[in-house]
Amino acid sequence: MSDTEIANPPATPETTGTTPVTARRSTAARVAPLIGWAVLLLVLFLTPVYVPGEWLSVLCWIMAGGVAAMGLTMLIGQAGQFSLGQAFFLLLGGVTYTVLAADGDAEYIGFGLPPLVALIGTIIISGLAGAAFAPISGRLRGIYLGVASLSLVFLGYYLSHELPMLAGSASSGRYAPTFSVPGFDFGETNPQLLLLNVPMGAAERQFWLFAGLTVIAYLVGQGAMKGRVGRGWRAVRDNEAVATVMGVSVPGEKAKAFAISSAYGGLAGVMVVWWYSGLMKPDEAVELGTYSTYTTIALLAMCVIGGLGSLGGAIAGSALVFGLPLALPLLTGSNQTVDASGTAFTPIVITNLVFGILIVLIVLFEPRGLAGLGTRLRNLIRR
Amino acid sequence: MTTFVQVLINGLGVGAVFGLLALGFVIIFKATEVVNFAHGSLALFGGYLAYQVKDSIGWFGAVIVGVLSAAILALAIERLLISRAKHASHDSLAIMTIGIDTIILADVVRRLGTAAAPFLGDPYDTKSVSLGSLTVSRTYLVALATALVLFTLFFIAFRKTSWGLQMRAQSENKEAAALMGIRSSRVTASAWVVGGLLAGIAVFFLATNDIGGGSGLLSAHTVAFAAFPAAIIGGLTSTEGSVIGGLIVGLTSALGAQYVNYEFGVVAVYLVMLVVLVVRPSGLFGRVDQVRV
Amino acid sequence: MSTDTRNVQPLRVEGVTVRFGGIVAVNDVSFTVQPRTIHALIGPNGAGKSSCFNAITGIYTPASGQVRLGETVLTGTPPHKIARQGIGRAFQNLALIGTSSVLDNVMLGRYSLTKGQFMAYGMRLPWTMRQERAHQDRAAEICDYMGLSHRLHTPAGALSYGEQKRVDLARALCVEPTVLMLDEPAAGMNSSETAMMAALIHDLRDDLGISVLLVEHDMSLVMGIADRITVLDFGRRIADDVPAVIQRDPEVIKAYLGGAPDESGESAEAAAISSEETSA
Repeated sequence: MSDTEIANPPATPETTGTTPVTARRSTAARVAPLIGWAVLLLVLFLTPVYVPGEWLSVLCWIMAGGVAAMGLTMLIGQAGQFSLGQAFFLLLGGVTYTVLAADGDAEYIGFGLPPLVALIGTIIISGLAGAAFAPISGRLRGIYLGVASLSLVFLGYYLSHELPMLAGSASSGRYAPTFSVPGFDFGETNPQLLLLNVPMGAAERQFWLFAGLTVIAYLVGQGAMKGRVGRGWRAVRDNEAVATVMGVSVPGEKAKAFAISSAYGGLAGVMVVWWYSGLMKPDEAVELGTYSTYTTIALLAMCVIGGLGSLGGAIAGSALVFGLPLALPLLTGSNQTVDASGTAFTPIVITNLVFGILIVLIVLFEPRGLAGLGTRLRNLIRR
Repeated sequence: MTTFVQVLINGLGVGAVFGLLALGFVIIFKATEVVNFAHGSLALFGGYLAYQVKDSIGWFGAVIVGVLSAAILALAIERLLISRAKHASHDSLAIMTIGIDTIILADVVRRLGTAAAPFLGDPYDTKSVSLGSLTVSRTYLVALATALVLFTLFFIAFRKTSWGLQMRAQSENKEAAALMGIRSSRVTASAWVVGGLLAGIAVFFLATNDIGGGSGLLSAHTVAFAAFPAAIIGGLTSTEGSVIGGLIVGLTSALGAQYVNYEFGVVAVYLVMLVVLVVRPSGLFGRVDQVRV
Repeated sequence: MSTDTRNVQPLRVEGVTVRFGGIVAVNDVSFTVQPRTIHALIGPNGAGKSSCFNAITGIYTPASGQVRLGETVLTGTPPHKIARQGIGRAFQNLALIGTSSVLDNVMLGRYSLTKGQFMAYGMRLPWTMRQERAHQDRAAEICDYMGLSHRLHTPAGALSYGEQKRVDLARALCVEPTVLMLDEPAAGMNSSETAMMAALIHDLRDDLGISVLLVEHDMSLVMGIADRITVLDFGRRIADDVPAVIQRDPEVIKAYLGGAPDESGESAEAAAISSEETSA
């Protein structure tokens, strides 16, 4: 049901007996993806030259959502663990990064670590937090686990309001440093950089950073899902007894899947803070905002629309669910995101209607989501 | 002490409303094994239509319109969408109801706009009544009384009528029930209708200043969210459990809000749910299914 | 598949009792699967055969008694570590991942023989790639033996029932077992397919030199290939002997004929036992 699985029988059956038996595929089949990746990386590298800043910002937001959804789609689609808690890990990631990277003062706690250290620390801490949920997640199934994980979102909302010295106040928030490695700052235009005579400012640099992180997150996830780890998870998803008999530790892999998904959520949380130019601000309501139940549902929607278990689908889903509300005003030329009269079709209303309808249609007609549609298209072309 | 008793009554009143929602949710789950995440939207939809007609046909008329429209919407969802997705797993259908919920919520909120907060509890909302030394808002008392009547009616119907027998048979074993001549589609449809009716009634207490708060119907969907933990605490397969779960949730949030703060009241519900799930993974009264290898 | 000399140990089930609440599914059952034999576990429905299988593979924890493989005590070992001791199991309900390729399904059998966690595979460390290739080649070899080599990259769900049975068996063989456990290998097969399955099981034992423990309802298959038979009824062991003796055992015949009279399948089995007896 994902990039790791094969939908079409090979055109020519391999001959038996005469040649040494091997599972390997042809050289062409192995080289083609490499060429594809090289082209994609070049395109991503040049995108900031040709795409205006406001569109880069939309793409960055899509990638932040996409990374969170990739973690969730592996958890749900590959490991079979239903979760409605991913927005909590966005919040946890954002707060952890802010606390680790920002300088402390009278009002806020901060450790002033280098951003790279803070980023890695955040990913690890988010993963550990996910693993800490294992005693609960391991005992529950399906819908019980979904609603139990939803309680994390409520807990996060409450704690972020109770602990403003960590999360910033709900009215004004606090600031975290943008990303920089020694010699190159992603948040500012220091040092100056020209690419094809186009100055690479903060928006352009952020796009590179986000694209790099998203590609890494994708490749790591895909590599793991294609091999031993993904096989173990899929076995746990489909039949726990079979998984156990084949040597998979079911509680162990469930906990790991939750930890990995949370680590992806934590990384996405850092990206969200960067996207807001370093602002970490708790939501003002539990049902609406960056880390709210709405976001948790939106992330689930991305996974369903993209096809549960598909990493590429998660990004496609994010393009729709996170991208549409930002892209529509740019397309229509209006900058109104909230309509005063309230009855108009604002971009967010349109997005919600579109993704709601898509979810219904996908369950009715194409359970594998956009990834499934993609496979069908590819099969049509090959024929 | 008076505060405490007052908080208890408020908690029971809110809990009764959660119980109504959770009971409908559990009835649908028992009949179809579908978790209806669109339950809050059933309430919202009924409330919206009631609000539209309230000024022209009066409050009692609006109640009838609201309750019936919620039931009709529930029936429509089951007939037009759920029953069509024959090959989808129960988990997929639950995800589908999330999509349905998103659609209804987005459109009703859009239609309501931001002009004025709609309220639906005209005869009792923000009207207090004195009971000895206590001053209690009527909303809680009316909610509690209404819920008690409905619970009683439901459990009589569930235990004594042939409908109840069919419902129970189907939730025990769908194939066997079908072999005994029970028409599965009719039982399923009736479960959704009952769930819709109960949600339609609940919204007349949710869209009040006393329970829903200052934004009335607009917050009904959010407040109704607590019906999920209520149903989970009671156990998704237990109708009695859903009522008790509702009361637990109502009391927890009222006590938490009174003695810590409002925000804690909300999160306390989920903490209680987590504790219950750790001790009993299928809720307090839920049935544990044995998986056969 | 090359004949290798595996260190096959006897599998001893010693006084195993399995309880669910108040129900005793397996009651003080003992038997030994001798190295390189085909051992059948038979009995009417509900006799406790599957529970016995689950107790051996650690899915169920016995209330008392233990299972040993050679000197290693399996009971109490974390269930996912039992595969590495050399126990491979094929399932009655197949339980393949229909959307995954045959190779991916079969490779699950290599899980306990391989290493590597999320990040190692995620970063495509060279040793994980080498490991993956080496084990895929072995899995392909096993698939070839099972006549599946042209199906490696086909989704398992697209295969015929008989082919899926073979994928399931190939997955169990990928564990490199010394004891192969088969849960109703001939279920749902017609008589010619059943005969082929019997031949295959026989060949597997001879080629690989491993023990086979099987649960089966088809008496022609059981009587034809089993070296020894253990009969369960209502969770108790009522007989344990070579097929020729089992066929004449009055208690076994009574268990099949006098058991649950509403099960037509069982009376057919009983008839099969008797007919085997007359032909013997």
